[in-house]
Amino acid sequence: MSDSSSEENEDTTWVFYRDRPEWKDIEPLSQDDGVDVPVVEIAYSEKFKDVYDYFRAVVQQNEQSERALQLTEDAVKLNAANYTVWQYRRNILKSLNKDLWEEMKFAEKMINQNPKNYQVWHHRKVLVEELNDASKELYLTEIMLAQDAKNYHAWQHRQWAIKTYKLFDDELNYVDELLIQDIRNNSAWNQRYFVINNTTGFTKEVIEKETDYTLKKIEIAKENESAWNYLRGILLHDERGLSKNTEVSKFCENLYTSGCHSPFLIAMIVDMCDENVSKKHNDPNFSLERALNLCDDLATKYDIIRKKYWEYFANVLKEKAEGKVSP
Amino acid sequence: MEKHNKLYVNKHERYFLRFLDILPSALEKFDATRVLLTYFCVSGLDILNALDKIDNKKREAIINWIYKLQVVNEEEEVSGFQGSSTLSTIKNKSKNSPLKWGHITATYTALCTLVILGDDLSRVNRKAIAHSLKKLQLPSGCFTAAKEGTESDMRFVFSVASVCYLIDDWSGMDVDKTIDFILKSISYDNGIGQEPGAEAHGGSTYCAIATLALCKRLNSLSRRQLDGIIRWLVFRQQSGFQGRPNKPVDTCYSFWVGGALKILGVYDLIDFQENYTSVILTQSKIMGGFAKWVGLNGDPLHSYLGLAGLTFMKLEKCQLNQVVPELNITVNAFQQLKVIHDKWRSS
Repeated sequence: MSDSSSEENEDTTWVFYRDRPEWKDIEPLSQDDGVDVPVVEIAYSEKFKDVYDYFRAVVQQNEQSERALQLTEDAVKLNAANYTVWQYRRNILKSLNKDLWEEMKFAEKMINQNPKNYQVWHHRKVLVEELNDASKELYLTEIMLAQDAKNYHAWQHRQWAIKTYKLFDDELNYVDELLIQDIRNNSAWNQRYFVINNTTGFTKEVIEKETDYTLKKIEIAKENESAWNYLRGILLHDERGLSKNTEVSKFCENLYTSGCHSPFLIAMIVDMCDENVSKKHNDPNFSLERALNLCDDLATKYDIIRKKYWEYFANVLKEKAEGKVSP
Repeated sequence: MEKHNKLYVNKHERYFLRFLDILPSALEKFDATRVLLTYFCVSGLDILNALDKIDNKKREAIINWIYKLQVVNEEEEVSGFQGSSTLSTIKNKSKNSPLKWGHITATYTALCTLVILGDDLSRVNRKAIAHSLKKLQLPSGCFTAAKEGTESDMRFVFSVASVCYLIDDWSGMDVDKTIDFILKSISYDNGIGQEPGAEAHGGSTYCAIATLALCKRLNSLSRRQLDGIIRWLVFRQQSGFQGRPNKPVDTCYSFWVGGALKILGVYDLIDFQENYTSVILTQSKIMGGFAKWVGLNGDPLHSYLGLAGLTFMKLEKCQLNQVVPELNITVNAFQQLKVIHDKWRSS
């Protein structure tokens, strides 16, 4: 609320650049499309036109000044997606040797107002690089993720800061918190993988610990694709593969016998069968026949929207078993 | 399928034509990407078989305006097309001036628009563009969008691949490095993220797969990776498509995810009825256009991608021109491009 009222104040006290005495020496330059028929023309507001007419004028003479810096602020507030304005602003910040911590505050404000805008996040990244200090980035992204826990921009920025400045220490705790708030937050699951992959790696112990953790989460929400995918992610690093990790295979069998028909569970058992057949383990519990039956169940009962996919996949399995396609 | 929920073809036609003229000031946030909007409208009309509704004078104006956005600057190595006329004034007309730089997605959409409108690309300085592309590739294999001042991710990898394909010159891209970047961006869940470590996403998965197709390097994917990607893609269907697991369905993913499946030759595995209904419910029957979600206002991006996604399903009642998924232009436009390429190659 306070934000919008201050914006309103700003608008009622707004003075056009053309009416500002300190800009008298500049001749504003109109945009020239160069054609006499409108092509995706924008009916600019008077304010927008005024600001950008002066923007064109200062860029043309490459003016590096305080007033030009102020002008870029007005220009990005009108259109935060204009990457040229941002680049020009950075040039000025550099040549005037401005205090970049002040600019960090501006970037934060702009991110708050445009959380899904690429340019504002990029601006922030450049500032952090220039300052060589990422001590405020975890906090900033946490604020933004509190508003939208799946904001892709915030996650990319956070991953970049963590990886570049080695800020892994508390990250798994943060991920835990997010998964307690929303067990289906796929971004958080992805972050969990990112942290482990870049720190301890998936050693035997880590695989065990992570498997326990994930199976507990699956018990809470059995139709949660994110957790099932993460489980598969862990098992990519288990040399035993999908079906020979008895903790996982037992868990799946128990779940199945208890009457759970989550497509993700059944798909997992199908893939266990697939692996068993491909590797010629000849485990009768994970046979081709069982896989084909389960594909049929998925297609006709438990995952009908993917009917054609499961029919196709059953065929792939058959062809693999007959040696027609390489596994 | 189309019985109860028909596609309002004429409304969409008028929607695109309206945007080709003038946008309200509420859309000032698109000011830096007017070329992209032009592409959505022109390609949208092409899908609707309505290019003839753009009269000759207008057609010429669009083509000339786009060419005016071309930058040929071999000294600064910033050749390509700008996203809009923000920096164009009467004074610097067709002259290089500070920060007049090409942007790779603008270059991609500018070239597509020219091809769709029947231009022969003879005024495109292909050599200069290919040369400037080299400046955009990072050691990781990823690309930025302009020489300085933009982020880098899979969107720009795709944009560069498309531009290389369109100008029929791959000298600006180190293809092996690009493929390496793509393979490293495959996530543990088999989808593909914007960069290594990032969450798999329908948009970046499309960009990656389309790039592989344009480079003719789909065979870089192992059988296991391919099976995994297909599984990840088909699992995005809820009714329409979502962009990531546990996210809501959104019109544009019927194109991004559908397009990736189409490129991989397995589009038929999806549920057409569910997808059709989901997309069609986001169309505005009054204003035309499509929205991200039911109940929201339409916008040019979702309007175009909604429609482009529908072309993958051969509809019975209305004739939509098919879209070539990896380049995102219609089959007709693609054939025109092939004629241009043949001419270049024989000269």
